[in-house]
Amino acid sequence: MSKPRWSRLMVYLALVVAVVTALVPVYWMLTISLKSEVDQFASPPRWFSFSPTLTHYADAFLSRSFGQYLATSATVAVLSTLAAVTLGTFAAYALARFRWPMRLDRRLSLWILSTRMFPPIVSAVPLFLMMRDLRLLNTTAALVIVYTAFNLPFVVWMMRGFFQELPREMEEAAMIDGDSRLGALFRIILPLVVPGLAATAVFCLIMSWNEFLLALVLTQTDAAMTLPVGIAGRVTQYEIKWGVMSAAGVVAMVPILTFAMAVQRYLVRGLSLGAVKG
Amino acid sequence: MSAQLSPTLRKPRTRRPPRELSLAFVMAAPTIAVLLALSVYPLIYAIKVAFQSGTGADAHWTLQHFTRLFSDSFFLAALGHTLLFATVALTFEFLLGLGLALLVDRPLRGRGLFRALLLVPMMLPPVVVGVVWRLMLNPDFGAINGTLRSVGLTTEALTWTASPRLAMLSVIAVDVWQWTPFVFLVLLAGLQAIPQEPYEAARMDGSSAWQTFRFITLPLLRPAMLIALLLRTMDLLRVFDQIFILTEGGPGFATETVSLYIYRAAFRFFDFGYAAAMSFVLLVITNLISAGYIRLLQRQEAA
Repeated sequence: MSKPRWSRLMVYLALVVAVVTALVPVYWMLTISLKSEVDQFASPPRWFSFSPTLTHYADAFLSRSFGQYLATSATVAVLSTLAAVTLGTFAAYALARFRWPMRLDRRLSLWILSTRMFPPIVSAVPLFLMMRDLRLLNTTAALVIVYTAFNLPFVVWMMRGFFQELPREMEEAAMIDGDSRLGALFRIILPLVVPGLAATAVFCLIMSWNEFLLALVLTQTDAAMTLPVGIAGRVTQYEIKWGVMSAAGVVAMVPILTFAMAVQRYLVRGLSLGAVKG
Repeated sequence: MSAQLSPTLRKPRTRRPPRELSLAFVMAAPTIAVLLALSVYPLIYAIKVAFQSGTGADAHWTLQHFTRLFSDSFFLAALGHTLLFATVALTFEFLLGLGLALLVDRPLRGRGLFRALLLVPMMLPPVVVGVVWRLMLNPDFGAINGTLRSVGLTTEALTWTASPRLAMLSVIAVDVWQWTPFVFLVLLAGLQAIPQEPYEAARMDGSSAWQTFRFITLPLLRPAMLIALLLRTMDLLRVFDQIFILTEGGPGFATETVSLYIYRAAFRFFDFGYAAAMSFVLLVITNLISAGYIRLLQRQEAA
């Protein structure tokens, strides 16, 4: 075999190893969620040969409270995303397109970014005490408020980048034609950034859906907790129902993976807060 | 002349129409207000909690929470675990991610598919990552030990997250599993942004593969590397979710990180003052490290 073909083969081999390593653990959880207890504890492990059952899914989402956690997670994710995207897009436009005095546009943008850099545990203690004082512990409202603030810096940075990529002449032309500034924004600019806006919203959904620490601190009752907190509460108890856990894990994972594939093109940009255009 | 005009006649000097600027302010105000209320105010609140002792009428200012930090061997151990966890995980994630990115940075059939499949671990909810790896690492029926046994190995010593010696290794391995794809993606994006011309010039000059890598790829990839390292470091220093699910900081104290210790102080022992004081130490450490990276990045841009 010639040398380039060899090296090509090695590249593919390395990639296959990487992909298998990435996916096998997830696949194993999927099989556990579909296995009867006998198959779960079988030795050697049964990777393919087992009779699939949906009892764990029914158990988790019909007999236990996971259906409720799921509904809370979805509500919190959707409401906080809507709020963050609406507020953040206007702020991003204001910071991307207007000349503020004393370079405030740049300074405000950097300050907004810096609020995102706190480790969440730093905010967890004061937010818990604040929500306790406001009697908002164990409410969906508390999580919606906190996640909106959590996602806002992200929306501002992403949307600011998308706005800056459009030439200024676009609004100026519309405004010469008689549009107001806001008219130009809604009629000309927003339609052009719709793909970026959609990707940003999907990222907010993912981050709200995945968030764990603040939800753990702010919600402890069955009626208020999100899916990650519900799963964690069961995992760390002594008697673990592996099938139920895995079923809940699969359900928590599927919407996220669907969304992630939808925004693949923007993934690097989103995960690096706009720092890498990818 | 102007000095003799009455102040009422003088027009304010503006370089831009004031209505434009007030529109900008109105658009940005809600965001600024939300962040003031939910990021800045909590920080001030935390300062108050960290520097006060007692409640109600007994409340007084004190440094006791901060002095206690330095004699708290548990806190110092948690800090050591966090730094160990961050350093080892960062090293592996970076080297593996760089290796993969260099491999994939060439025309390959099915590259898009590889990329998409490699994304899966890092998009998973951290709690689900915890569940996945509890299922893999369980000493009795986990897939790893089960597979080792089926090829004839004994696995009694391999208790993974239940073993004081292997627990840290396990949580590091899980983080490397989850986040190497991120480093890979950022570095791949960086590699693909490098123009072709320097490579062509190097080929004409007869550079070896190593020389091309050392003098062209590495310097041009530096900004992407620094961003990947910065974002990973920030994330590693605050690690909480996966460790909480996998080991809860145990066995004993073997995998307790600063975030977990703060959580325990605040929400198990309701020692909010001490928890807030430790939060500040964590905040200062992460800020110093990120300032270092950002300096390197800026020096890069200036050069």
